[in-house]
Amino acid sequence: MARAVAARPGRRAPLLVGAGLAALLAWSWQGTGVDLPGLLGGEGLRQIATYVARLFPPDLSARAWRDAASGAVETFAISLIGSLLAVGLGLPLSLAATRTLLYHGILFEGRRLGPGARTARVTLHAAGKALLNLLRTIPEIVWALIFVFVVGLGPFPGVLALGVHTGGVLGKLFGEVLEDVDPAPLEALQATGAGRLAILVYGVLPQALPQFVSYALYRWEVNVRAAAVLGFVGAGGLGQRIHVAISLFQEHELLTLILAIYVSVTLVDALSASLRARLV
Amino acid sequence: MYELTGIRKVFAAGSVALEDVSLRVGPGEHVAFIGPSGAGKTTLFRILNLTLRPTAGALVFEGQDVSELSDAELRRVRTRIGTIYQQQNLVGRLRVVHNVLAGHLGRWSAAAALASLVRPRDVAGAGRALEQVGMPEKLWARTDELSGGQQQRVAIARVLVQDPDVILADEPVSAVDPSLAVSIVTLLRDLSHASRKTLLMNLHSVDLALGYFPRIVGVRDGRVRFDLSPDKVGPELLAELYAGHRDEEQELEQLRDGKNPFGAACRPLPGFRK
Repeated sequence: MARAVAARPGRRAPLLVGAGLAALLAWSWQGTGVDLPGLLGGEGLRQIATYVARLFPPDLSARAWRDAASGAVETFAISLIGSLLAVGLGLPLSLAATRTLLYHGILFEGRRLGPGARTARVTLHAAGKALLNLLRTIPEIVWALIFVFVVGLGPFPGVLALGVHTGGVLGKLFGEVLEDVDPAPLEALQATGAGRLAILVYGVLPQALPQFVSYALYRWEVNVRAAAVLGFVGAGGLGQRIHVAISLFQEHELLTLILAIYVSVTLVDALSASLRARLV
Repeated sequence: MYELTGIRKVFAAGSVALEDVSLRVGPGEHVAFIGPSGAGKTTLFRILNLTLRPTAGALVFEGQDVSELSDAELRRVRTRIGTIYQQQNLVGRLRVVHNVLAGHLGRWSAAAALASLVRPRDVAGAGRALEQVGMPEKLWARTDELSGGQQQRVAIARVLVQDPDVILADEPVSAVDPSLAVSIVTLLRDLSHASRKTLLMNLHSVDLALGYFPRIVGVRDGRVRFDLSPDKVGPELLAELYAGHRDEEQELEQLRDGKNPFGAACRPLPGFRK
């Protein structure tokens, strides 16, 4: 039975896409007012140099040390508690956002869901996705402004802001991991008569856990940087002290605080890397 | 045990996997299903273990029409049907003990199932099952560190723990090497014989089917082509069953020449002796 070899698909599409991307790039360059001569020309460069020179030397007085250290500890704590809150929020929401656990795929081929049950599950899935999108698309800093208004100044609104935004991010990522697990073991578990919850803890979660841990650690690294910024709107940590230092032209203390950010971020990156090596 | 009438399965994409399959299997019977790949044997087994719903037709298990069962009843019936798959049906990241004890999941409450992951219940039972398949020393090994043949034996141990009335084995030996294939087929046959279980097996190799099973069902293009005792399954019937499937035709040719991949371990096949 001889069949014709398939013809090579046309190659016009990539050219069109390329031209479109180039146009988009040119338009964006124009629209954002990128001004390289202004930045790197004589005057701009001189201003950068003057400001950097004014930062030196860092303020190493006991008061500045104390300030930087307590800010760094607070930033670290905000990122840690915020990330844990995010896992606690994202994990249950991700279950609601996973079609393969609700109404679609291998676990639902043995029996048709009743029309009422199916509608309820499709609605739950849509609601879960919509909620995750809402949490995720509003940036941490906007959440922080909202929570500062609700619970007042300090590290607590920072924790809430990171928890809520990152909860949305992790919920989406966890949901994708859950939908991607190998279905063959789930089918086998279902065939033994196992219930949904047993299939989840014996078949789905063991497969998903390494990626869950990996994503959570990565978001923790992101969050320690984010926590340093949240202080600008009054949500505690190094950011709050940096905001004060900039406003009061305390350039030497500013440098001390920037160094403290550098140290905290590096520390969390190292900690996260060693945890990942152990757990994943 | 099983009574199938006019079973038809059409997948969402419109392909017809099974067409008008009618079949009766009595308690304690041993039946081998053969036929070219893509004939619908796996689909049939998924319908038989109640994880796939037929598009039309009636499936009666032990006098009960399966389509009329509630969710809870469906789960209860599933506990009485044990399935062994071709491969990759275990959870690799769990220890062997948990994969074996998964045979209990149909009976355990969710809380008991969860607790067992922390502190395994019925370790003795899991150990006994592993002893029966000849690898008790692997109880605490991580499952993905085992070879394909060892994993297949873990799957059999899981079915032993489940202790069903029917064992469905879907190509249980096509992913293991020939010498092991014979021992797995005989193990399953002897185990189900001893405990009077019904055994249904999909087999890729005609010689294993004819050599070890008293009843052979030939499936092609989603239909049952013959349902005979092995001495009635001759070369012409097999040539017809596998017509157009080149790999399998070549294997038949080797059988006809008196060669079989399982060597002396497999009984000689009457119809094929030169």
